[in-house]
Amino acid sequence: MSQESSTLADIPGLVRIENAGKEELTAHCMELTHSVYPHHQVYGQYCTIHEYVDCPPEQAYDYLRQGHHLEEWTCSLRDFAPTGTPGLWVGHDRLEDDTRIYCKVLANPEAMTVDYHCSWDQGEKLWMIYLMRVVPARLVLDKPGSVITWTNCRHPYYDDNPRPDLAPRPDRPWVGDYWDLFYAGHTVEMHNLKAILEHRHRGGLPVGSAPARTVAR
Amino acid sequence: MTTVSLTDVASYLPGEPVPAEFYTDFPGAEDKLRNHPMFKVPRLRHHVARDETNADMIERAVQSLVDRHGAAEIRGVDVLLVHSQLPDLPFVGAGTEVTRRLGLHPEWLVDVANAGCASFVYMLKMARQILTSTDAKTALICNAQSAAGQWFTQSEVRKLAQAAIPGDGCGVGYVTTSAQSPVLDVESRHIGEYAGDMTVAVDDGRKYWEPGKSQLRIGFTDASVAKVLARGNRLVPEVVNSLCRRLGMASTDIDVLITNQPNRTFLRNWREALQLPAERHLNTFDECGNLFGAAIPVTLDRAISSRRVKDGDLMVLGGFAHAGDFAGAVAVRWHGGRD
Repeated sequence: MSQESSTLADIPGLVRIENAGKEELTAHCMELTHSVYPHHQVYGQYCTIHEYVDCPPEQAYDYLRQGHHLEEWTCSLRDFAPTGTPGLWVGHDRLEDDTRIYCKVLANPEAMTVDYHCSWDQGEKLWMIYLMRVVPARLVLDKPGSVITWTNCRHPYYDDNPRPDLAPRPDRPWVGDYWDLFYAGHTVEMHNLKAILEHRHRGGLPVGSAPARTVAR
Repeated sequence: MTTVSLTDVASYLPGEPVPAEFYTDFPGAEDKLRNHPMFKVPRLRHHVARDETNADMIERAVQSLVDRHGAAEIRGVDVLLVHSQLPDLPFVGAGTEVTRRLGLHPEWLVDVANAGCASFVYMLKMARQILTSTDAKTALICNAQSAAGQWFTQSEVRKLAQAAIPGDGCGVGYVTTSAQSPVLDVESRHIGEYAGDMTVAVDDGRKYWEPGKSQLRIGFTDASVAKVLARGNRLVPEVVNSLCRRLGMASTDIDVLITNQPNRTFLRNWREALQLPAERHLNTFDECGNLFGAAIPVTLDRAISSRRVKDGDLMVLGGFAHAGDFAGAVAVRWHGGRD
């Protein structure tokens, strides 16, 4: 027995070909396969969506990494302006009146990942994180274009606003109240993203656009 | 249009119940899959006797219909449809032998060799068509399943995890031109692209009729089992939902769902997909195992006998065949109490 497998032997609950065997593994997987899955089981703790976009991956990544484009493809994020803190922007989330959203973009050109670190009402702790990744479709689907994935994880603050005192008014609904609509809402936004990128790419236009405002008011 | 009813059903199970230990205690039995729901052994099943034929079982099942409806009524059926899961003879079905035993003189006789585990649904569709469009007034539809006690008891096959799942039995339906328990609609699909994916496996590659030592069994590679699972998961809810849509109902309006019962995983997945509680999806898996084509009529007969089908219930019978080459579902408004 190799040293590796002897250390693994102490770990309960591992299912590996060495201990399960092919048939048992197959049977186990079949048991885990249902016809349908309740929404909360699929989207209860994590919300991952994905879309094919007929636009070169470098351009799709370049579009996403520029935070001001959120004003084009999201449903409700508007009017971003720089804060005093480098890299931190503040805009409005028009999902609710008078609601400010703080946002910082962390992008990695090699992996083509673009993460939006956001939060409502305050910019000190950015806990509402949108993890996006552009994958060359040539690699995974053997066709031109991009596959874009997008994941949100259910941070505890979604269920419990840490700073209710910062809300513009006491009865303002909290962003986490919408968690069950994230699959739908994000799908709508993903379709916007796809439509914009495909339209511009198809027309030979630059996919990006200039920021609406370059200086803070 | 003439209304056609599924007037009654009856069933027969051969011999005494065979306990799970018949397989699990057999020397050399595979046991590593026993804990998985797909291969979890039913508590009981029935096996045909060595000399028991499809016609024998049908004759015994039909006897209950004779008792309830009279010999003259049953002898007078215009249509006889028979599905034998494992034909006793390769060149002729059991149909004509059944007519000889029961003294029938049907104008229509079809030995159905397709639609496998969902053939009760398809035969009901055919019977309804014949009763609607000709002078025929009554039909007998029969499902006989005798593979368990013959194939799966062979010395080598008996050791396999799959062997403990099947059971033998026979279910028959009496179909008439009446409005008592009307057949509301039928959805059926022949799916050619999945034809031939279920095979007879023989290890030495001989024709099944050629002499040799290898023992016949149902063949599935791991990959095709996964494919069949995915197809089955999809097909049965699809045909049932499609039937419900045509009837202007939701799947949740179904009072009694009865399907074929290949294993517990399918039963779970189908009721989940159709959003039905377990108590509305009836099965006889624990007592009878996988009855193949006989499952639907046998389960239905036992459900009626045990009063689990109530007067006025919307009953849906559905299933898929082989590796997915047929899927069908039929809806019946049940008013066929036995008092």
